[in-house]
Amino acid sequence: MTGGIPVEVLVLLIPLIVTFIVPFFKPQKATAISFASFIIPFFVLLYKLLISASFEFPLLDFPGPIGEFYLFGDAISYAIGLTICIVSAMVAAYSLSYMKHRFEEMELESETEFKKFFFFYNFYATSMLWLVFSGNLILLYIFLEIALITSFLLIYMYGYGNRQWVAILYFIWTNIAGVLALVGFLMIAYDNSTLALKGITSIGFTAWLLIFLGMIIKLPGLGPHIWLPWAHAEAPTPVSALLSPLTVGLAGYILLRVYLVDPWFIDTYKIPILIYAIISSIYAGFSVFKQDDFKRLLAYSTVSQMGYVLIAICLGPFGLIGVVIQYISHAFGKSILFMSAGSLIAVYHGLRDIGKMGGLHEYVPNISNSALMGFMTLGGVLTIGMFGEFFILYGIVDTFGKDSTLIDYLWLIIAVIVVFIISGLYSFYTLRRVFYRTPKEFETPKVSKLLYVPMYIIGLIAIVFIFPPLATGLVQNLIQNITSIIGGLP
Amino acid sequence: MSELMSLLLALLFFVPILSSVPIAFAWVYRREEPWVKKLPILSVIGLFISLVIALYIKFYVPDGPHVINWLPDLNINFVFIFDYLSKNMGVLTALIAFLIGVYGLEYMKDDYRLGWYWFFFNLFTASMLLVVYSDNLLMLLIGWEGLGLASWGLIGHWFRDDDDISFVGMKDRKILGLSLHWSPSFGGWRAISTIRVGDMPMFFAIAAIFALTSALGTPNLNISEIPWQELFKYIGSAGTIILLIALMIGPFTKSAQLPFSEWLMTAMTGPTTVSALLHSATMVAAGTYIFMRLSWYIKPWDMHAAPGLETVYLVVLFLGLISALYGALVAVGCRERKVLLAASTMSSLGLMFGAAAASFWVGEIGVSVAFWYLMVHAFAKATLFLVAGHLIHVTHNRFCVGDKEVAKKLKVTYYVTIFATITLAGIPPLTAFWVKSGMDEVMHTLIEEGMLAPLVLLLITSVIYAAFLAKFLSLNFIKGEKAHLSLHGGKIMATAYTVMVSMLIVLLMYVILSHGHVESELIHMGLERNSMIVGLVVIVSYSFAIFKPSIKALYSVGTFLGDRMYMAFLNDFIVPKIGWAIAIVVDYGNRSIDYSCHKAIPSLFEVSSHNIRSIQSGYLKRYMKIVLGLVMVILVAISIIGM
Repeated sequence: MTGGIPVEVLVLLIPLIVTFIVPFFKPQKATAISFASFIIPFFVLLYKLLISASFEFPLLDFPGPIGEFYLFGDAISYAIGLTICIVSAMVAAYSLSYMKHRFEEMELESETEFKKFFFFYNFYATSMLWLVFSGNLILLYIFLEIALITSFLLIYMYGYGNRQWVAILYFIWTNIAGVLALVGFLMIAYDNSTLALKGITSIGFTAWLLIFLGMIIKLPGLGPHIWLPWAHAEAPTPVSALLSPLTVGLAGYILLRVYLVDPWFIDTYKIPILIYAIISSIYAGFSVFKQDDFKRLLAYSTVSQMGYVLIAICLGPFGLIGVVIQYISHAFGKSILFMSAGSLIAVYHGLRDIGKMGGLHEYVPNISNSALMGFMTLGGVLTIGMFGEFFILYGIVDTFGKDSTLIDYLWLIIAVIVVFIISGLYSFYTLRRVFYRTPKEFETPKVSKLLYVPMYIIGLIAIVFIFPPLATGLVQNLIQNITSIIGGLP
Repeated sequence: MSELMSLLLALLFFVPILSSVPIAFAWVYRREEPWVKKLPILSVIGLFISLVIALYIKFYVPDGPHVINWLPDLNINFVFIFDYLSKNMGVLTALIAFLIGVYGLEYMKDDYRLGWYWFFFNLFTASMLLVVYSDNLLMLLIGWEGLGLASWGLIGHWFRDDDDISFVGMKDRKILGLSLHWSPSFGGWRAISTIRVGDMPMFFAIAAIFALTSALGTPNLNISEIPWQELFKYIGSAGTIILLIALMIGPFTKSAQLPFSEWLMTAMTGPTTVSALLHSATMVAAGTYIFMRLSWYIKPWDMHAAPGLETVYLVVLFLGLISALYGALVAVGCRERKVLLAASTMSSLGLMFGAAAASFWVGEIGVSVAFWYLMVHAFAKATLFLVAGHLIHVTHNRFCVGDKEVAKKLKVTYYVTIFATITLAGIPPLTAFWVKSGMDEVMHTLIEEGMLAPLVLLLITSVIYAAFLAKFLSLNFIKGEKAHLSLHGGKIMATAYTVMVSMLIVLLMYVILSHGHVESELIHMGLERNSMIVGLVVIVSYSFAIFKPSIKALYSVGTFLGDRMYMAFLNDFIVPKIGWAIAIVVDYGNRSIDYSCHKAIPSLFEVSSHNIRSIQSGYLKRYMKIVLGLVMVILVAISIIGM
């Protein structure tokens, strides 16, 4: 405690302040400052997670139906917050090399463009970080919209292909999602005469349905998923590396928070939701095999992975732990993979077509090895993803009756196993297509360290997280946090 | 004491990995410098330290568990178990890995990817040691996944796919349009994809055991502590079958039982050292080892009342024995050195599964016999692979070639091969004979249960097994085609496999001299009349194959067997075709959603807005017409409704 203000709030202020001062620095310094502004909160949040801390800090008090604006932190916020911090920090470091190349390619003046870029980048990442700690649904909505607008602008300015069209497409889809959720939030407000998370007691059917549909678009599920491959593939890679790992998963986070307030909707409709989630995950998993654009391929894999989140949220208290861990592992894995796709674009001047790749391990072993770490994290091989899968599988047996024999829900077991198998298969299939087989005619390029060291660091963290003390701290505190709200210790 | 033990265990796993990190990095950044070439020695020293610790555990650590906290709230911890199985298996793994490591110093010295090789080689060993000593199923899974990953890395080691010596199958050979020629990168992909199919059901079973034991009282994932009997009663017969079969699919895929056998054959695209390690003490042995460990603690022989358990053991018994027969037949038809040995491994693994599964009816001795066979097989097979590697180096040919000149020039290799083959074939009075007699007796006991088939399958397999081992010897050293030899070096390699093969003598001494319960039982069973008869038949089969290693008249049968009875169609044709069909449907789905959302709907808006705009022309006449038209429509509508 520092004069009544929790240290978490202080460290959350760092990236916010840095956002507004970073345009005054030269690119290199700006990178270093942005990096530091996220790495400091990372360590603080990690420490707070391990000592099972929590905090609540009031900001403003509005009369009903808006209610109190406040920040709060528990194990869930810490876990997701530290993920956002570490990924944002590493991607910030990565951006320096990557965006320099991008600006050259677009024939822009890099010094001024970096000012714009880092302002929007930091604003984007900071708004996601604050979202996780906000204790009022309106506040949460505001941060969601800031994240949307900043990322929209980044795609609009620096994207690939038909970037204006893609950016507007992205904006419209996610804005529909946002508006649906907002209407849902407002209905909650009039029912409860507050929007502060701690004050809400019940959520009606229509409100829940609207929020759920909004988040399905944002997550995305099968059907609305179609915006995602466009946006994630055509965004400049540092933005893809935040969009895909962090932003879409926040939809899962919002569902989780709403669930913790009043779980009846998902508990009642869990079977149809599960079926939808499984179909959407398998569908997207099969789509991955047909993609020839590396970034588009990764985007489809995101849809498949978000299916895990939707599956997990239906599976009771241990499913919820699965949601959080799946968020973390997907964020780690997918940020590494988008960065490695970006590194290939940077060193081979826009190489994205997998048909033209093959045997790249020969020329860029570091990028190849980090991509391996990324796919390991996605597949849950020797990384934190293992726990995510464990809790999802555990949640199935836990939710669907420990008293009945397994045969009653054998279909569900097999379906989820198939989901997990597919993600492992496309991971190693893609690795082989891109990095192994007979090397094609390429040159050995000079690869800047910033284009692979950040990926190695994230990969190592993903591995370290399965061992004590990190695993112990993370899992124990999540369990305590979630069971203290909805019960259900083993 | 407890802290010292934790430290030792940490060293056991992390030293091999850490000792290979220097070469992994140096190879990327400083490949040209001479000292880098010496770094592999450091990796081998790491393996040696593991061996020392494993030996220490075997001789000085009392039986029982050792716990290190992991997720104590869930009662999931790093639990290491020291018992008969793990102590011996640990030493076996570490010793074989160390000897193959020494061999690898010479065999791999001119390779283009030493960093990758040593890192994954040592990771492989460390993962296996973790599997061996772990009692906790979730912790076991870390090692298990490590094995899968390392095997992928090592099988696909020569990822450039540019040298036919690293391929499997014959170039330009096609059956029904399917090429029977597999590259290293493909072999790696096949291995990891097959293993993934097995790992996920196993993972589910582990999570389910956790959930079910917590429903029974306390959550528990320690194999030795799970209340198996109550668990099976609780979930009934269907539940038991689902749970155990899901759990066993993991070992079945890892140990390459039917129909998951293909990956093991194309795994021969890896360096020979990898094949040797993969086929003796790690990876494939992990599957059978886990089954033995489970059976050791489930004690199925005391649980005949448990519903569904008998079905599971029947499935394992017959799956194992049929795979054993399949593997043996394939090996008879194979002409590639390493693939022949791979098929024979599959056969041996099937026998281990069979014998261990028979424990349901015959008691603990089934597991003991299977475990002894695992040990004997490990040393013999590792030796044969190392010999095959040496021969490939010398002849530059992955097919069986070599006449008496090879035997003359490579005397040590020749004698080592003879000794390894006759020992493994089960010729009395050498090591495998006693173990195989144990198996004969176990299967013989099953006749009392009304099952004759297991014994028959075992005997046929044993006879064929001896024949192809003799064929391997004969086609490489005695009656094969003339080979062009390029002899140089080979001293380290020869030393390594000589030491390896001499371990078989150590095991033999152990069987004969030790007064342990299992060993004296083995001797006792070996001296039965039936076992002696089987021994004689095996000798006949072995000597016949030495003199007649290939029979012209049976060429087409041999080709059918050597093509592995076209099992490749399952992996390369049926499954991918189904997958691609779904992927294509899904792709059309994506295109149509994309088209309707991003083309059709926007253009619909555009068209309607255009039409609406066209109304707004500003002429009064047009508005009048529209109003009149609408009035007409309304009048007509009213008149119709009014009727």
